Amino acid sequence: MSTTSSDSAGASGRAVAGAVGIAGAPTDQGSGKGIAWLGEGSQLFILSVLGIGAFVLLMMLLSFVSEMFGGGGAGEAVDPGTGTITLALSTEPPQLDSTRATDMVSGQILGHVMEGLVRYDEFNRIVPGVAERWEIDESEAVFHLRDDSRWSDGTPVTAHDFVFAWRTAVEPETASEYAFILYPIKNARAVNEGDLPVTALGATAVDDHTLAVQLERPIGYFDKLVAFPTYYPIKQDFYEGRDGRYGADPEDLLYNGPFAIERWVHGAQLRMTRNDEYWARDRIHLNAIDYAYITSDVNATLNLFKDGKVAIASLDAETLHDALEQRWKLERFNDGSVFFIEFNHRPERLTHNRNLRKAIQLVVDPAELVYKVIKLPGNTPGESLFPVWLKGVNGYFRQEYPAPEHRVDIARAHDYLTRARQELGLDPLPPLIFLSGDNPAANKQSEYFQEVFASRLGLEVKIDRQIFKQRLAKMTAGEFDMVLAGWGPDYADPLTFGDLFASWNKNNRGAYVNPELDAWVEVAQSSLVPEERMQAFDEIQKIIYDDAVILPNYERGSVFVRNPRLKGVVRRAVGTDPDYTGAYIADG
Amino acid sequence: MNTALSFAPVVAERDVEVISRPSLSYWRDAWIRLKANRRALVSLYIVIALGVFTVFGPLFVPSASIQDLDQISSPPGADRSAFIVPPYVPWSGVTVNVRDAQGPLEAPGSMTLVGEATTQAVRMFWDPVPGAHGYRVYRNIAHPAPDDALGMPLADVLNPSRVSFEDRLDIKPGEYFYSVVPLDMNGVEAPVYTTLDVRAIRVITADEAVKRGLAESVADLAVGDEVKLKLHVLGTDYLGRDMLSRLMHGARVSLFIGIVAPFLFILVGILYGSAAGFVGGRVDQVLMRFADFVVALPFLLFMILFRILFKIEGGDSGIAPMLIAMVILSWPAAARLVRGQILQIREEGYISASRLLGAKTPYLVLRHMIPNTMGVILVTITFAVPSAIFTEAFLSFIGMGVAPPTPSWGSMCNEGLKTMLTHPHELIFPALFISITVLAFNLLGDGLRDALDARMRSQE
Repeated sequence: MSTTSSDSAGASGRAVAGAVGIAGAPTDQGSGKGIAWLGEGSQLFILSVLGIGAFVLLMMLLSFVSEMFGGGGAGEAVDPGTGTITLALSTEPPQLDSTRATDMVSGQILGHVMEGLVRYDEFNRIVPGVAERWEIDESEAVFHLRDDSRWSDGTPVTAHDFVFAWRTAVEPETASEYAFILYPIKNARAVNEGDLPVTALGATAVDDHTLAVQLERPIGYFDKLVAFPTYYPIKQDFYEGRDGRYGADPEDLLYNGPFAIERWVHGAQLRMTRNDEYWARDRIHLNAIDYAYITSDVNATLNLFKDGKVAIASLDAETLHDALEQRWKLERFNDGSVFFIEFNHRPERLTHNRNLRKAIQLVVDPAELVYKVIKLPGNTPGESLFPVWLKGVNGYFRQEYPAPEHRVDIARAHDYLTRARQELGLDPLPPLIFLSGDNPAANKQSEYFQEVFASRLGLEVKIDRQIFKQRLAKMTAGEFDMVLAGWGPDYADPLTFGDLFASWNKNNRGAYVNPELDAWVEVAQSSLVPEERMQAFDEIQKIIYDDAVILPNYERGSVFVRNPRLKGVVRRAVGTDPDYTGAYIADG
Repeated sequence: MNTALSFAPVVAERDVEVISRPSLSYWRDAWIRLKANRRALVSLYIVIALGVFTVFGPLFVPSASIQDLDQISSPPGADRSAFIVPPYVPWSGVTVNVRDAQGPLEAPGSMTLVGEATTQAVRMFWDPVPGAHGYRVYRNIAHPAPDDALGMPLADVLNPSRVSFEDRLDIKPGEYFYSVVPLDMNGVEAPVYTTLDVRAIRVITADEAVKRGLAESVADLAVGDEVKLKLHVLGTDYLGRDMLSRLMHGARVSLFIGIVAPFLFILVGILYGSAAGFVGGRVDQVLMRFADFVVALPFLLFMILFRILFKIEGGDSGIAPMLIAMVILSWPAAARLVRGQILQIREEGYISASRLLGAKTPYLVLRHMIPNTMGVILVTITFAVPSAIFTEAFLSFIGMGVAPPTPSWGSMCNEGLKTMLTHPHELIFPALFISITVLAFNLLGDGLRDALDARMRSQE
């Protein structure tokens, strides 16, 4: 003991002496100001060496501490021993009640832990889920449920569970934002608006395994519709026993899907394990999916991927170059949504004027936006409200009915602008309010458009940046002239886009009213002849361009990297995305 | 009589006390001492240079919002030569009749570049693969061999008879490796590919060149001519805007806040502090407790409240509420300092003397007290300037400052941070300007404190 302490004292003594020696050295040479300057210099040198040393020590300490406490106990990205994959989730689902879920993350989790009447397979075809087979005609759809579909408590999934879930969703008290997706069911709209009791909903359980649905009108895509999360079943006893907490925590949810939530630490982790009660459990290879990180930071997720902590990471335009230099194989995915500038068509707004909208339309170049500003492969320049992946009569809708040709024409734009000024009696026009999201991508795009309008048209634009919720509130209240908006498909039919600007649609936030367009939407909704419906969508496509209802910007794509050992992950535009139910870990 | 002689006046001996050195006023002395301090002097020059940069700079550079989309995120000193090409016309592509075949898919026999590879577009076609239902096109910045690193997928060509692709995505001058992989009926890639190596050259259309001021008229330019793109001394940002121009315009905002806010709140502080100090007693107690109360108010919360109060919507500049919030919340420090000085000076002998000679209160305050606190006040201002610049930078960084397209150094840092790893110059320049400005004002303040403090003079 004593030797150790004397040793260390000696060492520190030497160190001090050395330091004094260096600082003192210049004093012996020269005199006057030079000394002070040199002395100051070497002092500065020692101080900076000490400072840098301390900084390095601090960094080492911090990384040590973060290794001790960080990570949430997550293991490797893919662990073949336990059959576990580790992933990052962009945000936490607000809750997992399928009747009230609206966001994509909720849809992604629900798609793994629940199963509807039908589901999508790896080639995006509709295949049987809880329903073994079904018949749909003009006025009724009958689903025959399989016997071996069970809840995670072992009880069978029955037709009553579907009836209960659908009634809950359309009940006015539930205030489900997605109640409208049930409107094809008879009386659903009337029930939702409080005109009829909830028992009037046209869905009945003929017996435990037969579900009969009366339809409001003939509908050609009802089988695709019932794959949507709002159509998932809920067990009545369980729901009522949860006392309003249904879907808030893992124990407040009953599962009938391939996975069940084992642990949910709010804001930090969500872990799903294989549901052994699931009827097709042989199809599931993974034992657990561990969302060990909840972060929307692209850089952070990419660093986790580099360290082998997560199996999948998305890239943005800034991280793309880095990924190429790592010689990773990148994958690209079009998530099916369309982004556009939506005009405010309320009569009190300047953008109500068609000539002004046409002028703006003629200076916007989606190709320039996508290729020079967004710069991310996978995004394609927007040409129409209807994205390219939608199916038409035989092939793709957009190949059968090409979008109206668009070309930038600044001279014509100025003609329109002059007419708009005369009609509005305003010269110059007051600044237009351009509502935009508050994230790096939206900032970049809005500033690009601001300059495009200023330099090509001389229009002044004020950018109003708002977070998603606030932006939605402002859109609903109509406090904007133009807004950067987007729409993702709910089901695989062009109508999910086609009815967006119908005068009765709650998501028509620009309040566009056009009886002609409404008429075509009604044709598309009620007709069962594919040619007639596609013709109607083509008319809608033309009206949207001719009247400059919106200006399509791009169809969103994303680029991501995947751990090469993780296979069978399905990305899809409609339905659960990404879907890990069929994923497996390949031998490395 | 001899009275006059007897009482001859003594001639004043004027040379007894001679001021052998020139008389120095307080300010002149301070200036001499400041000049002796090298760091302070350099800082002073930097501050003056910044002033010139801010006031006159924007007169000589283009507007800060012009977007040069041909030179996005280009670093300083990037190569600028470009060739004139005709305007872009859509390409119909190459379609062939394909025969169906069974068996594993093979790699396309060869890939061919159509025309020249330019930054406008790179067009290519390949030999059809029998049995393929589509093709996926990849692009990389290095050769895929040996580990099959194909790079980034550009597009899926889902029409089997279409064997061409046109790439327009953010092409920079340089070498690219395009690879084509055939897809089977389920859209699954075959494990084969063919690679095409191209070198893209920078091009610009004649119209663009005239618009950007690179030539007088389209007639002066022929296809194939080489032109130099517009010079951006410090490079461009993520939308191709000139960094130098943005820094100059940003300096106007940053320095405006940095100088006007301290000036205003110190003025308030002087009035408040001298009133408290001069009147003294119970009034002083009450006034200073109120100042303590103001110190306790949170700045950021006030800033947000002011934005609401002034109905600052997104799209409006947040500079006015920022200024008001700073003035309302930052004066107590100056007030305390001035009050302390006044309390001290009030008891000095020359004040009593002046009062005995009949000086009124305003005269006492304005002639004797304020000038004697001037040194302290000046030093406070120079130290308040950097902190105000920091506050503005911070608020703009979190998006509560200027509205786009107006730049400020803080908002430029915020934008540059996102591209820090790929285009560091977008962050380094504004950060450097903030650092240098703050350092210069701090060192200048340091020097001023030494130069203006009379007590330190006596120590020498």
